[in-house]
Amino acid sequence: MKVAPLLKGGLRIDVESPLDWRILRGITQDARTGGLDLADRVSSAMLADPESDDWRDYVVPDLRDGFDAQLAIIERAVADAATTAAGCEEPGRIFIHPEEAEDWFGGLNQARLALEERHNLSAAIESEMTPGRRSAWFRSQFYADIQGMLLTLVMR
Amino acid sequence: MAGTLTETREDTTLDAPWNVLVHDDPVNLMPYVTWVLMKIFSYPENRAAALMMTIHRHGRAIVWSGEREQAEFFAQQLQARQLKSSIERTE
Repeated sequence: MKVAPLLKGGLRIDVESPLDWRILRGITQDARTGGLDLADRVSSAMLADPESDDWRDYVVPDLRDGFDAQLAIIERAVADAATTAAGCEEPGRIFIHPEEAEDWFGGLNQARLALEERHNLSAAIESEMTPGRRSAWFRSQFYADIQGMLLTLVMR
Repeated sequence: MAGTLTETREDTTLDAPWNVLVHDDPVNLMPYVTWVLMKIFSYPENRAAALMMTIHRHGRAIVWSGEREQAEFFAQQLQARQLKSSIERTE
């Protein structure tokens, strides 16, 4: 897999192997696995206030919709690129346009948050990781690397 | 002739301002937190970076103070960008 910036803004991901496709599909799978309710999580300090019913009723559902939409954008981009690449010799190509950069960043963040919740990666010691935890750690690092590129090359 | 003395007193109490707080978490990248604070509050980079470091070191930081309605709007904007945030009335 190669990830590179585009002259007109945005990033292009060249998908070169079946493993690359599996890793990219893993972004949304990781984000959805474990039942983390991100909207509740980011609002938790607000919801601790007994007078926060309006927040729970009006803001949290909006947040939830926004977070779901981020994952849908990533899922659709990967699925469309896979359809286009099917039967071609050339690598699959996924374009992250500047106007979608924040959604990709957010979706990758959701995946990293979910992995952190499940595997407590921030407290992990590399030499003592189980294979499952190590795999999660590598995925989280990969997602963070793409986030770093988005932030540095596209969003700023 | 006795006059009437009228004394007028003004007593204006301003509504106490509200703070917007951002709480630390183990996942959000530090440059991203800085970027969000720049984007939402139009802070210069050095101020946003200093606030980000306060969040990182102390677990939370007051990033804005003012009217409640605006504080709620900012908290919602921060949460939409996956930063854990809340508001509180100043002491």
